[in-house]
Amino acid sequence: MSAARTDKGRGLNRLLVPSFGVRMMLPALLLLASLSIFPFLFIVWMSFNEVSPIGGLSFEFVGLENWVNLFADPDVRSSWMISGIYFVATVGLEMILGIAIALLVHEIVWGKNLAISLLLMPMFIAPVIVGLLGRFLVDPTYGLYAWVLKTTDLYTQNILGSQGAALAAVILMDVWEWTPLITIIVLAGLSSMPQEIFEAAMVDGANYWQRLRHMVMPFISGVVIVALLIRSMDAIRFFDIIFITTNGGPADSTKIIPIRLYETAFRFFELGYAAAIGLGMLAFSILIANLFLRILARQGLAR
Amino acid sequence: MTKNSSRRWGGQVVLYGLLALALLWTLVPIAWMVLSSFKPPDDLLSTTPKVIFEPTFQHYQGLFMGANSLWGYVQNSLLAAGISTMISVALACLAGYGLARSHFRGKQHLSFWIISTRMAPIAAVIVPLYLIFRNLALLDSVVGLIIAYLTFNLPFAIWLMNAFFADLPPSLEEAAMVDGATRFQAFWRVALPLVTPGIVTTAILCLIFSWNDYVFARTFSGPESQTIPIAAAQLITQTGIDWGKLTAIGTVVVLPMILVGLAVRRWLVRGLTLGAVKGE
Repeated sequence: MSAARTDKGRGLNRLLVPSFGVRMMLPALLLLASLSIFPFLFIVWMSFNEVSPIGGLSFEFVGLENWVNLFADPDVRSSWMISGIYFVATVGLEMILGIAIALLVHEIVWGKNLAISLLLMPMFIAPVIVGLLGRFLVDPTYGLYAWVLKTTDLYTQNILGSQGAALAAVILMDVWEWTPLITIIVLAGLSSMPQEIFEAAMVDGANYWQRLRHMVMPFISGVVIVALLIRSMDAIRFFDIIFITTNGGPADSTKIIPIRLYETAFRFFELGYAAAIGLGMLAFSILIANLFLRILARQGLAR
Repeated sequence: MTKNSSRRWGGQVVLYGLLALALLWTLVPIAWMVLSSFKPPDDLLSTTPKVIFEPTFQHYQGLFMGANSLWGYVQNSLLAAGISTMISVALACLAGYGLARSHFRGKQHLSFWIISTRMAPIAAVIVPLYLIFRNLALLDSVVGLIIAYLTFNLPFAIWLMNAFFADLPPSLEEAAMVDGATRFQAFWRVALPLVTPGIVTTAILCLIFSWNDYVFARTFSGPESQTIPIAAAQLITQTGIDWGKLTAIGTVVVLPMILVGLAVRRWLVRGLTLGAVKGE
């Protein structure tokens, strides 16, 4: 199937003329290679150098210095910690809320389609706008949510100016934007569930929680894992919300790794060190991408 | 349905109550943004939130008229997002089909390379690209942005089109070839029209991802190539934030993407899970 029909039987031709599939893939793959392999080799090379862009680009080979710093620098270590907290809190809350909302919407009878469309909306919003909108809502003088918290006496300080509250706020902004993604993926899993097994269980007298635990959850577990991995990969990729709201502050309390990296590269102009941090991040996302592919291959979800 | 209908009724009431909460959480920020963009400055800057006010278009007028008009930004956004989407989708139709219809050793590795390119953290990609663009004089140009967006749109599109083509049974194309079509004709005339929803979904998702970008544009663009999200961020100044204009820009950025996104809702799950889960 892979060799073009006209090439059939002509041995030499077959070697010289690439097969149809290869010819189709070639333009895209060549472009992708130049967009990814070259920058990748470049960033690896950068990570062994001290790179400064000021007054003409200068490279100075420093061996493993950046890599040693990556593990020794207490600032970067604390950023990894905050990243960990931020990652677990956002992705964790998004999974819990996303699954809960999907189960809820799956059960309702009337207005289901409209409800789904409305619930999905935050997902299409540019993350930077989510951050700006979040800033507007928690603004100490004019913010709607800040006002609600103040009048109910729940929180009266400047939200983005206080350490714990700022971290909570940026986490909730991310949760607001990305919970719908989990909801819609889990809903797709729920709607592909055969109704008969459900009815059989009802006849047997199983209550909702029993059905949920023993039938629904096992059935949608594959889809839930895909949702988790997809979300995890993007959670590592983006940092727009924090970038535009607190930019790491106050007192570094929201300084996740990409913010630290960006600042290292474009504020302190230590591009070599930034490259090493970047490669550290890349290792994580490659690990998750690898898991994603394995699960796809094993479960045959790519039907 | 009839047997425990009273219990069902009670259950539905609780469900709708919870749904109302979820909708409130989801919609209040969006509604507040759109509402605020029509508020007169006095009502906008009141310390108690105002829901009733006399609507005004002054923030939108301020955006689109006058010296630093938003049109330039809109144009850059459309060009950068539009062209990178078109290039990605066109090349990905070819490559996705080629990948779906060929079997070779190392296909798994090729797939892995494609997806890991797509998943590379933006902060990590930006560092080498910045220096490369600097050397090629691509900073502050829409071309630079198009290339930057290709780094995530192209692998995404290849992967997704591959998934859509893999769903098609090859028998239709084989029948066309028996009738004398070349392999390319079988692709062009038979396979491609059948994946139209896939092409549209892929294109819309690529458009959303690049239209919504902030970090690349912030790093690579200058006065000549800034996109709308940059215009929004520029409203934050030392002296204060013009919330009226900001909510207006937010509305301009957000509404078209919500509309196109919801237009492909049926295929959205397929697209957003990179083809792993079939939609509703």
